[in-house]
Amino acid sequence: MAPHEMRFILSETDTSVANTLRRIMIGEVPTLAIDLVEFHENSSVLNDEYIAHRLGLIPIRYQPVDSMKGQDCNGAFLPHRECVCYERCPRCSVEFELDVAFDEANTFRSEEELMAPLTITSKDLKSNNENVIPAHFLSQDEQDESQDAGVAIVKIGPGQRLKLKAIARMGIAKEHAKWCPVAIATYRFWPNITINEEQIATLTMEQKQEMVDVCPDKILEIDDVTGSIKAVDDAWDRCTYTEDLQEFQQSIKKRKEDDDFVTVEAAEDKFIFTVESTGVMDADEIVISALRVLKDRLNYLAQEVENIKDM
Amino acid sequence: MNAPERTQSFLLDEDTGELKIVYTADTKVTNAGTFRFNKEDHTVGNLFRMQLLRDPSVRFAGYLHPHPLVYFIDLKIQTNNSTVAPVEVLSAAIDDLSNETDHLMTQFQEACEEWKRTNDTEVSGNF
Repeated sequence: MAPHEMRFILSETDTSVANTLRRIMIGEVPTLAIDLVEFHENSSVLNDEYIAHRLGLIPIRYQPVDSMKGQDCNGAFLPHRECVCYERCPRCSVEFELDVAFDEANTFRSEEELMAPLTITSKDLKSNNENVIPAHFLSQDEQDESQDAGVAIVKIGPGQRLKLKAIARMGIAKEHAKWCPVAIATYRFWPNITINEEQIATLTMEQKQEMVDVCPDKILEIDDVTGSIKAVDDAWDRCTYTEDLQEFQQSIKKRKEDDDFVTVEAAEDKFIFTVESTGVMDADEIVISALRVLKDRLNYLAQEVENIKDM
Repeated sequence: MNAPERTQSFLLDEDTGELKIVYTADTKVTNAGTFRFNKEDHTVGNLFRMQLLRDPSVRFAGYLHPHPLVYFIDLKIQTNNSTVAPVEVLSAAIDDLSNETDHLMTQFQEACEEWKRTNDTEVSGNF
């Protein structure tokens, strides 16, 4: 687990629950993203729509000033359709100002850079809410290694200028993928590795070694104490359910109907989740937010079902 | 431009007064019926189906999502006998799932706390 990435094991449940959790993380966790853009001046090489689209894809992070965590923006903001305001207000939107002119910025640049194009990045977006900023780098080291100060938007040359106002609103990825909080949200089945000690005992040491070596994932090792075969500690992580082991076992069996020496099967009630955030909020917040979305949905549906009962 | 509104996939259509759930009892079989959940998809459909199938008083539970651009699911439930109505088993299933979600939430938070204790490093989330 790291702020932007985490893995966890979900057990004693059904695939339907695992899949629901995954689908909600991808499609229904609310986040902030730039949704409206007002252009005041755009003399760059890209047209307005192109820039508006690029702005939309910048991850916007909600991180309260006193907190180190990128948090769930639900509660702090309202979906703009539910807000009572006439057009927009600080409760349902965040405004960003951007104003970069090549000639003005050039006065701060060094001699040899003067004629080089200037890259406008997400760093140039000035937010009107100190808790909401475009997501940038994971650490200072990462920032030092990078060529740009943020997410590149457009490059401008002499005489060009970009001035705009962008409005970020809360939404879900079902409406547009720019609101998706996750880069990766997947689950795998936990591998159940069973070792048939009785069968293994009939093998020679060479055969055992060969069996250990034949698996490309290296999920087996020879137990030094008992001389038998055992699964390595991180076998669950390495296992990709290859067929090499199975094939090898068939070839060394004395009789076809003999039991397998080692069987690897996918567990039906245990899942290995991998969640990687785009930077809008921390990975654990995404999972909690997804569970909250599910909980709210179930409560809402339970209420609706009650209404049907009464009819 | 004939693209459907993107919001159609998750917002109920207010102009036509669309309801979230519409129940139709089966005309031929007693204790069976179809629930139409507007603006829902596999996320909830499969979840309900699997939960209902765990209920011993449910004889049949299945759902249908006709097309990715059709924003409803039909959930069909038949119970074992006429003493239990489909509405009741559905309501029980939703309650169970709701409890399971609560349980998941606490378990997840505990696991996160546990991880933080064992890996005693305050990793700063500074994007």
